[in-house]
Amino acid sequence: MNKPSTQQTILIYIALTIVLIVFMTPIYLIASSSVKPSPIMFQKPPAFLFSPTFEHYKDLFGMRPFGKFILNSLIVALGSTAFSLTIGSLAAYAISRIRHKRMNDVAFWILSMRMFPPIAVVVPYYIIFKTAGLLDTPLALIIVYSTANIPLTVWLMKGFFDEVPTALEEAAAVDGYGLIETFLRVTLPLAAPGLAVSAVFCFIFSWNEFLFALMLTGSEAQTATVAVMSFWSSDAVQWGRIMAGSFIILIPGVIFVLTCQRWLVRGLTMGSVK
Amino acid sequence: MSAIILNKVVKTYGAVQVVHGIDLEIEEGEFVVLLGPSGCGKTTTLRMVAGLEDVSGGELSIGGKIVNDVAPKDRGVAMVFQNYALYPHMTVRQNMEFALRPMKLGKTEVANRIAATAGILGLGDLLERRPAQLSGGQRQRVAMGRAMVRTPEVFLFDEPLSNLDAKLRTQVRWEIGKLHQRLGTTVLYVTHDQVEAMTLADKIVIMRDGHVEQVGTPEDVYAAPKSTFVATFIGSPSMNMIAARVISGCLQADALSVPIPERFADRVSEGQAVTLGVRPIEIKRVGADTPGAMKARVEVTEYLGNEALLDLRVGQHELVAEVPADQRAEPGETVHVCLNTTAVHLFDTESGLTLAE
Amino acid sequence: MAYIRKRNRRIFGMFLLPAILVLFLTTIYPMIYAGYLSFRSYDLAKIFVPRVFVGGANYREILSSSEFLHSLIVTFKLMAMTLSVQLVLGVGIALLVVQKLPGMPLARTLLMIPMMISPVIVGLVWLFLYFPEIGYLNYFLSFAGVGSIPWIASTNWALWAIAIADIWQWTPFVMMGTAAALQSLSPEPYEAAMIDGNSRWDIFTRVTLPQLKPVLVSLMFLRAIDAFKIYDIIFVLTKGGPGDSTEVLSMFIYRQSFTFWRMGVGAAASFVSLIIIVVLITLFFKSLNRDQAA
Ligand SMILES: Nc1ncnc2c1ncn2[C@@H]1O[C@H](COP(=O)(O)OP(=O)(O)O)[C@@H](O)[C@H]1O
Ligand SMILES: [Mg+2]
Repeated sequence: MNKPSTQQTILIYIALTIVLIVFMTPIYLIASSSVKPSPIMFQKPPAFLFSPTFEHYKDLFGMRPFGKFILNSLIVALGSTAFSLTIGSLAAYAISRIRHKRMNDVAFWILSMRMFPPIAVVVPYYIIFKTAGLLDTPLALIIVYSTANIPLTVWLMKGFFDEVPTALEEAAAVDGYGLIETFLRVTLPLAAPGLAVSAVFCFIFSWNEFLFALMLTGSEAQTATVAVMSFWSSDAVQWGRIMAGSFIILIPGVIFVLTCQRWLVRGLTMGSVK
Repeated sequence: MSAIILNKVVKTYGAVQVVHGIDLEIEEGEFVVLLGPSGCGKTTTLRMVAGLEDVSGGELSIGGKIVNDVAPKDRGVAMVFQNYALYPHMTVRQNMEFALRPMKLGKTEVANRIAATAGILGLGDLLERRPAQLSGGQRQRVAMGRAMVRTPEVFLFDEPLSNLDAKLRTQVRWEIGKLHQRLGTTVLYVTHDQVEAMTLADKIVIMRDGHVEQVGTPEDVYAAPKSTFVATFIGSPSMNMIAARVISGCLQADALSVPIPERFADRVSEGQAVTLGVRPIEIKRVGADTPGAMKARVEVTEYLGNEALLDLRVGQHELVAEVPADQRAEPGETVHVCLNTTAVHLFDTESGLTLAE
Repeated sequence: MAYIRKRNRRIFGMFLLPAILVLFLTTIYPMIYAGYLSFRSYDLAKIFVPRVFVGGANYREILSSSEFLHSLIVTFKLMAMTLSVQLVLGVGIALLVVQKLPGMPLARTLLMIPMMISPVIVGLVWLFLYFPEIGYLNYFLSFAGVGSIPWIASTNWALWAIAIADIWQWTPFVMMGTAAALQSLSPEPYEAAMIDGNSRWDIFTRVTLPQLKPVLVSLMFLRAIDAFKIYDIIFVLTKGGPGDSTEVLSMFIYRQSFTFWRMGVGAAASFVSLIIIVVLITLFFKSLNRDQAA
């Protein structure tokens, strides 16, 4: 693309400013409302300069065990991430290295597992977990989230493994290493960025998830997203607390975007756009 | 005892056979070069010896043991890969340490070996660098060091010089030759470059389309090529090939007529289609009145310093002659040349095989 | 250059097996179970114990019920609304942010944030904006001369309210994919067209768009698959209402299963939705394979 002229540049920046305002306003509102005193929450025109209050955060952690819900979210997200990464990268390695005409089908089958509507399997999950006594436990969510996270990991890691030259593995084989050792010492270290990216995607997905968390947990294993939603279903909407909780929940995602946005394309489009 | 024996070794990929039953014996300490055009199955053969590809048929033994089903790590071989295959996340020292780890040596032994290898290859200052921080030539040496440090029974090389520039190639080639003299380890070396083969090999194995075409010393394959393929593949510029017919004691090819050299006299029959092979160096410029002199038109002249290549047209034939530079002629000139009939090669056209004993 | 010895094949099999097993147990098995449930009816007192085999009754019921068909229509209507706007806006914004101008990388990064936000939070912040009487959106719009809109309280506007939240969250997805594709295009065709003196619009429609098409098709399929599953935002904003104006298929299944405790009917609807998604996924994979072949 050639460089735009000055006039075009000005138009581009005007358009971009409008776009940024539209897309950033909701995020700004979450951040600002979480520290806005309740009386001016809906004041018009909105107050840009006000002395911030932390009363909502205090309420959040004081009146309800929000800390516990965050801990639940963390346990579930980390657990599912670890589980999915282990199982997913092993499978991805096999798919990347086995030369077989049906391997592509296996890969697509695994990917398609991610695309099914969760609502369609909520009832079976509920019944299965109830029977197994796993309702309202982090383990239930770890298992359920892995159904989405394993395909994602497989798909992402396959791409990274494909980029590790097989000659390196052959060198290790000639040097005296078996397949598993070669995988652990040569291939995996070289695909480390892929592990990091997959880990972050798995974590964010689990951390953000709502439907299963709502259906499969009660007071014990409830996660932060469900807890924040519960402030809304009470008699009066507690916007301050909702915004404070929302702000906490959106932090990991924002950090992710700011630090590794170049991997986002690959992760979100599952490799269909490189 | 032979270090490596290939007995009718076959490789198939799916339904396609790419190596068609190779027989080869490699003596201990021998430097053997697999030479052939690209795609002829050299790498495949080498990788079967390394254990990186399954042997589809026949028998492969190393050190007297059949190794068809032995994993690469248990074959006692070390390999230098075409693109070096250095572990990018490890330093030079770590690359060598990693190669030694499976041998479970003591710490001092490992350090000693690395120091010794680094000394031989001049890697001393590079030990703490990563592959990305090395030049092509240095990487090549590290790859060799990583193979050497294990003191294997057999070294395998797959076109180790193909990624180096011309000057470095000559130097590293020389170093590999010296290393072999010093270490005396058996070497199986793959290349498509005849100069590498001629300079390094004790024994050259010329391959074509998954077959062995000829096995012999560099002298053998140059002086006594068994087929037209070997004859044209070895030697630069290529041997001139002239289609001819045996007619009343002469080899007739249109304008060209050469008396049958004595050594072929009773090996040809009247009317047989033969191919006459003449190396460019065996075509000499002579005076017009010399017996057997032929008139030739110079089409192109390539001046190479000491010598010059003349593209000649003799009747319908195009021949290349290599003459001393001061005997060169200008394009368009007509000159007289003469074939050194004692040094010509003769092949049966139908089979492509030599008619010499 | 595959180095696969027979022994390794077994190890690779062991690498692959856990994933296949887990996915089978956690996805295929529940789906089969859903299929089983869809042929049963339930005792309201023991809701989680399937009782009587009822044959295709549940399927007959949903296929003949106007509510189910209505939810399908709403789902596809919402899909059409969100996808079309996301496509146009996403490509438009992508064309802005790929310009080689200062600040563009930062703009691209900032615009990606919405995608990483939990859909519940997206629902909640838009609820905050839409909230009757006090929400800020109508206030902002009043500057553009737009009168007060009953976003989530009106059957005319509720679906748009949901669409806007979804558009806000996922236009960046189209923008991001398109920008990545634009940046990977070779500059030469542009330079050629420029030298030939083609107009900008000509260049965009004749050079850029055709090259983008495969990527856009993939992106749209991914969006369609997601849009078909949309749930959280609706749960927060309207719960399917007012009336049944925003009752998408997911919401229909949810209400049948957990509001009316008619699990068999919910399961039958789930199964229909699985079939539709299989079609979408297959089309998506076909489109991917075609790109690779091209
Ligand atoms: N993995 C493979 N599958 C199918 N054919 C192969 C494979 N590897 C090599 N070949 C074929 O085997 C032949 C020999 O290849 P190779 O040994 O690499 O040749 P060289 O090293 O002599 O250039 C070639 O025709 C090549 O196309
Ligand atoms: Mg080769």
